[in-house]
Amino acid sequence: MRRVLGLVLGMMLLNVFAVPVLGATEVTVSVLIDFGAEWAGEEVVVRGELVGDYGFRGDGWMWTQLNGDAYVSQPIGDGGRPQGGNSGVGIRMPNEMGRGLDPPGGYLRRGPVVKATGVWKWHDPSRQGESYLEVSSLEVIEEGYEMDEGVDWGVIVVGAGLILLCPILWPRRRHEVSESE
Amino acid sequence: MLIRPHVEDVRLIGAVMGRIFLVMATATVLPLVWAALAGDWHPFGSFLLTIGVFGLLGVVGLRVGTEHPQVNWSHGMVVVALTWLVVPMISAIPFVLSGHFGDTLDALFDSVSALTTTGLAVISDLDHLASSLNFWRHLLQFMGGLGIVVAALTVFAGSGGISLYIGEARGERFLPSIISTARFLWAVAIVHFVLVVTGLTVVGWVVLGFEPGRAVFHAINMFLAGFSTGGFAPQSTSIGYYHSAIFEVVAATAMAGGAMSFGLHHSLWQGRPKDALANLETRTLLSSMGITMFLVLVGLVMTEAFTAIPGLTRQGLFQIFSAHTTTGWATISSTELGQWGGFAFVAMGIAMAVGGMGSATAGGVKALRVGLTIKAILNQIKQVLLPERAVITTGYYQGGKMRLTPEVVQSVMTISLLYVGSYLLGAGVGLVYGLPLKDALFESVSAAATIGLSVGVTDPSMPVPLQMVYMVEMWAGRLEFMALFALLGFVYASVRGK
Repeated sequence: MRRVLGLVLGMMLLNVFAVPVLGATEVTVSVLIDFGAEWAGEEVVVRGELVGDYGFRGDGWMWTQLNGDAYVSQPIGDGGRPQGGNSGVGIRMPNEMGRGLDPPGGYLRRGPVVKATGVWKWHDPSRQGESYLEVSSLEVIEEGYEMDEGVDWGVIVVGAGLILLCPILWPRRRHEVSESE
Repeated sequence: MLIRPHVEDVRLIGAVMGRIFLVMATATVLPLVWAALAGDWHPFGSFLLTIGVFGLLGVVGLRVGTEHPQVNWSHGMVVVALTWLVVPMISAIPFVLSGHFGDTLDALFDSVSALTTTGLAVISDLDHLASSLNFWRHLLQFMGGLGIVVAALTVFAGSGGISLYIGEARGERFLPSIISTARFLWAVAIVHFVLVVTGLTVVGWVVLGFEPGRAVFHAINMFLAGFSTGGFAPQSTSIGYYHSAIFEVVAATAMAGGAMSFGLHHSLWQGRPKDALANLETRTLLSSMGITMFLVLVGLVMTEAFTAIPGLTRQGLFQIFSAHTTTGWATISSTELGQWGGFAFVAMGIAMAVGGMGSATAGGVKALRVGLTIKAILNQIKQVLLPERAVITTGYYQGGKMRLTPEVVQSVMTISLLYVGSYLLGAGVGLVYGLPLKDALFESVSAAATIGLSVGVTDPSMPVPLQMVYMVEMWAGRLEFMALFALLGFVYASVRGK
């Protein structure tokens, strides 16, 4: 009986003290944007697509942008519908962590979707008030992929046709007309 | 009595607009080539179509128009107003075909915002946009900032240039002819282009670690948006994307170059910096910047938004500089900007409303008008305080000693009141749609003063009437109202004139 009670008490104590050690809180990019101050200094997990550029800097940090919007699952170039602007935050990670990643998202490219764990830096004094996620671990959930928008030949033909009409319709100068008369 | 315009008037307007459309067709070749080099074949088609439409309209204008148009004042104003209506519509073709806009109105909104150098945007998924289309957005800002008609004036000579020049809200003429003045504007832009693009490319490549091609891409687009004080950016997080104080400083030189009047540039090029500093406009702008920067720092300290001086100064001062030059770049999200209250909000409001210098790419009421208004008010106070028989003469220095005549005061007050009226009208419509007063006023000032900072109101889901009101505000604000009234008068006279 004592053993059982001891076991139960031990498990309760473990729950009380283990939570801060075990778990960063999963939040969305929108939460960090809308409630950034409330998450200042907290360890969080954020899912999203890496977009833009990978900036490998001389100070050992790689910077990029993590987007958590509707276009992560289906960018417009992949048939996605316009659903408003992007929702992204800047992130930085050690250069070594950023090497070997698929290219970041851009035109006709969905970037890698990752689960980034790190500390949310809100108005970081060491970076003159910038806000960003300082990533300590990165897990790639979905690989990036290329998209194909195709070519709209109808638009090209119409455009070329209009351009070709221009020299045909160009007005002849009046003195050229009078000479021919 | 209003005189109905003749067919000859319409032909004359058509002839001038035809030339302008041909210049726009030529300019559109730039993104076409970019699209071809980048392999953006879908946008390539849309640029080809845009060139075709501009080109055809241009040729039609030449065909139906008079061969040697002799443009008078009212013709010039109507040409400017019509150009600034039609060009955004055609320029929106690539946006419509891109799939990044919910409907044609949204595409037109961004086109108007680009050309008026406002910078408010309703584009969806900017971060997956083709680089050629991104370049087109920024190029439109540059063309709009410099002036579509001014761009055309550098190419074709013709009479009536002064009314075209002034109709595009360029008040200063500091060289003998309008053509030489327009060409000087381009010279200033080219010098800034070389310096700023080189600087931003080096920062992007060496400091930020971008690939060289991407560093050039960012540099070119940020110059186009900065010098035009338009405020678009290639990525969705604005200038905050770069997380670099050095990048912000170099980009700020483009903002400063664009917000300075071209007359001031001319004084500096002529080696007369003291002249430039003596100008009422320069002193007013510097005073306003100083006051608003102080207020924003006080406001941010009181709200404890930033805890350290470097953060306070970098974020606060950059935002004020961005607002005062009417660029609209943001280092913080629109959500966070909307949370700035107290003195910080007041400072931003003043900076946005005052704007930059006249005869520059900047918007707002303009520093010279604010300075003249203050002088006129002080003049009135003196008249009250001094004996009745006292003679009060008020002069000011603006490129030389000038007299503050009643006509000058009337002109200044009229335009200033029109701006304030526009700010309030847009705010009123925002209130009708349930926006809080602070947000409604902020967004309306941002549109009419062509700033582009947003507290989140401008969005694809915004009500259509509000969207249209902002578009009219941007258009009227960019042209400083006079060309708009000239067009309305022309249309009215066409219908009701004798």
